Amino acid sequence: MKRFVSLILALMLAVGIVCAASAEEKQYDRVTITYTCPQVVAGFDYNAPNGDGYSRWILDKFNIDFQGTNVSWNDWNSQLITWINAKDMTDVAIYNFGTGTATEAAKIVSKGLLYKLPDDWKERWPGVADVYSKTSLGPYLEELYGGTYFIPRARFYYNLPGDPLANHWCLWMRTDWLQAVGAEVKHSYTIPEVLEIAEKIKEQDPGQVGFDLAPLCMDTGNAASFFLRANSTYWDTFYKDADGKYQWGAAAPQTLEGLKYWFQAYNKGEGVLDPEYYTLDHEKDMEKFQTLGTAGISYLGGQTADVENYRFTFKERTGHEYEDFHMANLLGADGYYHQQDLINFWGAVCFKPDVDPAVFERWMDLMEWTCSEDGYPATEMGLKGEDWDRDENGEIISLRDPADPIPLTGGIGEAKYPSLGHVLGSVILWDDLAMDNPNIRKDLREESRLLYKLRTDESTPETFVKVDWNLYMNDSDALRAVNGIQYADEFSNMVTTAQSEEELVELYNNWIADKQAIVEPAIKSLNGEE
Amino acid sequence: MAGRPKLGKRILLEKERYILILPAIVWYVIFAYIPIFGLSLAFKEYDANLGMFASPWVGLKHFDRVFLDPAFTASIWTTLRINAGRLIFVFPFPILFALLINEVRLGRTKKILQSIYTFPNFLSWVIVASIMINVLGRRGLVNGVVTNVFGAKPIAFLGKPEYFRPVVFITDVWKTAGWSAIIYMASISGIDVEQYEAAEIDGASRLQRMWYITLPGIKTTIMVLFILAVGNLMSGGFDQIFNLSNSATLKVAETLDMYIYRITFKGSVDFGYSSAVALFRSVINMLLLVVADRVSKAVGGSGLLG
Repeated sequence: MKRFVSLILALMLAVGIVCAASAEEKQYDRVTITYTCPQVVAGFDYNAPNGDGYSRWILDKFNIDFQGTNVSWNDWNSQLITWINAKDMTDVAIYNFGTGTATEAAKIVSKGLLYKLPDDWKERWPGVADVYSKTSLGPYLEELYGGTYFIPRARFYYNLPGDPLANHWCLWMRTDWLQAVGAEVKHSYTIPEVLEIAEKIKEQDPGQVGFDLAPLCMDTGNAASFFLRANSTYWDTFYKDADGKYQWGAAAPQTLEGLKYWFQAYNKGEGVLDPEYYTLDHEKDMEKFQTLGTAGISYLGGQTADVENYRFTFKERTGHEYEDFHMANLLGADGYYHQQDLINFWGAVCFKPDVDPAVFERWMDLMEWTCSEDGYPATEMGLKGEDWDRDENGEIISLRDPADPIPLTGGIGEAKYPSLGHVLGSVILWDDLAMDNPNIRKDLREESRLLYKLRTDESTPETFVKVDWNLYMNDSDALRAVNGIQYADEFSNMVTTAQSEEELVELYNNWIADKQAIVEPAIKSLNGEE
Repeated sequence: MAGRPKLGKRILLEKERYILILPAIVWYVIFAYIPIFGLSLAFKEYDANLGMFASPWVGLKHFDRVFLDPAFTASIWTTLRINAGRLIFVFPFPILFALLINEVRLGRTKKILQSIYTFPNFLSWVIVASIMINVLGRRGLVNGVVTNVFGAKPIAFLGKPEYFRPVVFITDVWKTAGWSAIIYMASISGIDVEQYEAAEIDGASRLQRMWYITLPGIKTTIMVLFILAVGNLMSGGFDQIFNLSNSATLKVAETLDMYIYRITFKGSVDFGYSSAVALFRSVINMLLLVVADRVSKAVGGSGLLG
């Protein structure tokens, strides 16, 4: 009898363990999922057993054969839109939603070229749905399209710095050079202040760089952001004037003012701006600051997730200390921070119209997991129990050896987990966790948090503006014609061509007049005057 | 007198020759003739769901927009200026190369020279542009000489619009002249050697032989290639311009191809509008080709179009 009872108890225990396990771990059949995003690491095999520890673990957990397609950043929009239109997209893709591509998105959806999520998806994947609700774009599109076709990925979820959302761009400055020329090291500078410091750096060359010294170094796109975007909120778009009528921001006085600062900085190749800034390819300006140590001030990324990496690379390559690298906000000449709402998302998940239900559900399950208490830190910090854990208060703690020279994230052969990032299902992006990530120095995280806050504090509702959905989603032919203007290149051309400020103004006025042929119809269309 | 055999029979009789040109015919059909149907998009509002053929017709709507954009007309002039410059400065170089190489007597030296001249053709424009940026940049070889030898300030070769076209022509010559010379070399090899022998006996110098025998001997080839080059006045050279240009040279570098690239891939994707611009370019190219052909015939030269 005793033996029989023991057997029954053993059986019950076994059944209990199996039931508990299956309640916790859903059993999946193997599926192959194809995916497109510029963040897919080209040449890296994510799959088990070839992937790194994290990709092996997560792809095993969800039993996925992952086939990622890398698209270059430059061709991301055009390639993906072409593939979608040609009905040749991957199962899952990240759509670069934004001005210019929003109009395409509307067309794509109306043509049935993307999968419409089932009506009950928010109940089935509540974690994803909650993040989605914070993106502002997601719910807006859902109403507009009459269903969910895109799941925007939230930049911030727990740590949203403000609404409207500030961009990450920051001044990168050499603290040692600033101090050497007697400039104040602070958290915000106006454009004229930066130019004044750059002049001093040029005159005194505190780093003894010589011929290669670039007091101010940025490529064409970043120069446009520095001189124009930071001074003129609507420099490359339209805005509503006091009468509620749309006007062209490129023709606003603040844009011309910014252009004059740009001309002053370039000064026919003899000013403080890198004399060959227009030849700098993507991130070459960063290289001059971070690797060569020949640039005094740049205007580059400032994501919290990267604030320590930037300094780490700077220290490794230039031999200078972390403290010689200072980050600060850039304000317009009026002393205010200028920006259009970044909107709390970056890239939106979408599925091909005939996606296999098993593939769709698997990816949604994966995304749901990345929103969970365990999944959210893992997307940036690696494996729980090996790289991080939670303490008795539920706070995230790092288990990494601070002396470990191999970074968690980075390229193949450089990092422990090249697969870490936003590729494998993230719905909350790194910007958020970075603010609480114990792997990043606390003082740097605090500084970054402060810079985000200051961008809001040092702005007005007129200089730091919320998104204008009417404009953002406008799909008129007239507006499409204007979207083709390459503002940064056009303005840069004026700066390098002009021989005097008078000539610059003349070039600018001619350009404004020249563009009226395509701008006026767009304004009429926006104002409903057609 | 027996009549000409029918086409089918002629093909059968000459089947080896037809088999030889078959791959070229297939290539042209697939990559040149079938895509012509895509130009119909210039008159349609492309709808991916309906496909190219079923998308609705919109008449000349896209062409209205084409002429509205001042950047379009500017790009036409830019294209014409660059390609006219190519005709003047780049086109003669392969002829000159061919004539000079033909005068090299040692066969081995000739082959080595030919290989050296031909090699740059196998480099992509991305590589050539990188080399040029390094050679002509502020820290480059040329500016090294300018600053160190002459003590002058560095010259912004890459940032001054006035230097852009010369850089385009020089790189074009460097990269393509050797390769293009092959056609002229082949043409020269077809000239009867007896003419040279007779001229030599008559006491003609090498320069005279070159001028009175070689050049007239390749005149037909020169004319054919010239007509083709004129027919390409509105296009060509996208890779080169794209890689060598930057925002400082924007106004002299936005050719029609660059414009099409910008409106197609940098703004909102609009296949109808892009096709309208591309069709316009093709029509102008065709007109130029016909005009060049007629002019060539009118002045007593050979034509291309029968």
